[in-house]
Amino acid sequence: MSKIATENYVAEARKAIKNRVLQEALADLQHRFGRATAESYRRLPEGPDLRLKAHDIRLQTIENLDIVLETLATNIRKNGGHVHFAEDRRSAVNYCLEVAHKHKVRQVVKGKSMVSEEIRLNEALVEAGIEVSETDLGEYIIQLAGETPSHIIAPAIHKTRNDIGSLFADKLDIPYDDDPPRLTWIARKALREKFLAADMGTSGCNIACAETGHITTVSNEGNIRMATTLPRVHIAIMGMERVAAGLEDHDILLRLLCRGAAAQHMATYVSYIGGPRSTGQIDGPQEFHLVILDNGRSRILADAEFREMLCCIRCAACLNVCPVYAKIGGHAYGYVYCGPVGAVVTPLLVGINRAKDLCQGETLCGACQDICPVNIDIPRMLLALRAKLAEGDSAWKVTPADRKEKFLLQVWSWVIRRRRLYDAALKLAAAGQKLFTHKDGVIRRLPPPMHGWTKGRDLRPLAKESFVQGWKKGIKIR
Amino acid sequence: MSTANQEEFINRIKMALGKPIATSQRDADLFKSAMSAETRAILERIKNRTPEERKNLLATLIEAAGPINLEVKSCEDLNSVSAGIVDLVRANDPEWGPKKSVAAWPHPLIENLGLPAALSQQDVNVFFTDLKETDAESIRRHVIDSYIGVTAADFCMADTATLVMRTRAGQARSVSLVPAIHVAVIELNQIIADLKELYALLKWDPQIKKEALTNCMTFISGPSKTADIEATMVHGAHGPREVHIFVVTAPD
Repeated sequence: MSKIATENYVAEARKAIKNRVLQEALADLQHRFGRATAESYRRLPEGPDLRLKAHDIRLQTIENLDIVLETLATNIRKNGGHVHFAEDRRSAVNYCLEVAHKHKVRQVVKGKSMVSEEIRLNEALVEAGIEVSETDLGEYIIQLAGETPSHIIAPAIHKTRNDIGSLFADKLDIPYDDDPPRLTWIARKALREKFLAADMGTSGCNIACAETGHITTVSNEGNIRMATTLPRVHIAIMGMERVAAGLEDHDILLRLLCRGAAAQHMATYVSYIGGPRSTGQIDGPQEFHLVILDNGRSRILADAEFREMLCCIRCAACLNVCPVYAKIGGHAYGYVYCGPVGAVVTPLLVGINRAKDLCQGETLCGACQDICPVNIDIPRMLLALRAKLAEGDSAWKVTPADRKEKFLLQVWSWVIRRRRLYDAALKLAAAGQKLFTHKDGVIRRLPPPMHGWTKGRDLRPLAKESFVQGWKKGIKIR
Repeated sequence: MSTANQEEFINRIKMALGKPIATSQRDADLFKSAMSAETRAILERIKNRTPEERKNLLATLIEAAGPINLEVKSCEDLNSVSAGIVDLVRANDPEWGPKKSVAAWPHPLIENLGLPAALSQQDVNVFFTDLKETDAESIRRHVIDSYIGVTAADFCMADTATLVMRTRAGQARSVSLVPAIHVAVIELNQIIADLKELYALLKWDPQIKKEALTNCMTFISGPSKTADIEATMVHGAHGPREVHIFVVTAPD
């Protein structure tokens, strides 16, 4: 379950880089999805610029979120559904438990949902004596192994077929097998029994539609359809931002979501659920509940600098192109949300100081924005977070992360504004650097107090002659 | 479960947005409550579609179905659809138990296929999910025991090869989900171009908007699949391993 472990970023990243299986899996993931997603945008009838329109749509919805959510709730209630507005994790979890108790629920089947990880729903249900089965194949593997997901869409990306074969042999008491199709069908059988026995199904919501009063869930396996069709009760949980105003907006967002998530034109299953089964209908839940979760989102909404982050539709496209995620994988980020999206969202949800390494670890290369189906300017927000960490911020209760760094930069700034002093310092440094230059011509380690700079990188030595000196002599510029 | 929660929640959003608590102001175009020229054109296009254009949509559908392993067959009449289903039943073994049985919707198009008679030679039972005949619990059991499910659909979107099914009395959702093989039978004029056309019809077509999306609308684009184990594509993760669409080009 997702406890907050953002403090271990550096140590976990180091571990991940040494894990060869993970490195291969991550490289393969990015190879398959990065380009294919970009290509799928180019093949949109409206062209890739639809992303820009989608950004405007998302922002407009977010700026009218009060009206949009009230419309959604009214329409779902009209269809006989229940809606609960949850301020925080506790309120959401308590509501789910209340519903479970009311219906004497003993078994729950769960469709994959990041927000239920965020509120640690499994943990709470299990504590209440309820059996919970993850039903997305990747999540099922992770649950059997007692681990946490490492990718939003491909949670078991870090496991090999051998790992999974041994795991199934051990936990399901069957002979070892490492053939992916046979392993999949073993899970199909085991989970089919769970689906048929479950009293309650839970799901997330990819994008709700306010004017019609529906949540939409998207999947390829069909597990979410199972979890929302067979059990007596269905609870869907959504982050309060995951909604479109009307069908015109929904059209654009759904198409972009499928492309961003898996370079698909349409996922295998999309369900629009607007309430419980009605009279004469044979299946579907007898009760439908929607939990709309704030849990720190209204704070992001209130800050104009970060409001844009609520445009995110959690497709995970940015994970599939990020050079940092490519090396450190999802676990290093230490929370439900990883990759570039996690590097911004996680600090805003769990505390900027606490998750400072996440935003400082990214490269600012901009690949995340280029691939984002709704064109979110993630690099801008990474910089804004770093600025808060450098300067401190009272609204977000940020204390400057590194006073030494700040002091050194102040000294630097003071020195470079004094020409003679600066030239003298350069001369001194040029002479002094010989002591630290490695025989291959780079500086591997600077002396304190600058040693932090060379912890993660080599430094090129200063040139024999500065640009200004060369210029005076009549340097040749090609 | 109180609305006090909701009021507080919404007020917090209003405050975050810097809106006065008392108002419910919003952007005028938020819900697009007037039909746009674009939508009008889409609806006109659907209404005036020629037989030639319909055939082209079928071709698009078949092309889109290929890469997602969805089987599309065009049939001139219901007899050849029925023969196609009989072949499927013969060629495939049941997934869980030893007995072959088929679940089907009590929908005119499906009932007219005459499946019970056509499959009686193979001693295969066809069960119609009709609440007038039996109760929900026994329908559920029958569907779980079936290895082929036969349904109709409301629409089929050609460009993504997507079946669109709105829920109705007597048309169990599980028939397209629980059996190992899903067969959908549609008529040529149910094929539309894309999601834009579907949404235009659902929101603006005077007949279709009466039911609108219903309380559960499902899209199905091919068989269930997963790539969660070493990125190897496997069909039949939880839903059907195979999906077949029979398109009746000249209905009886």
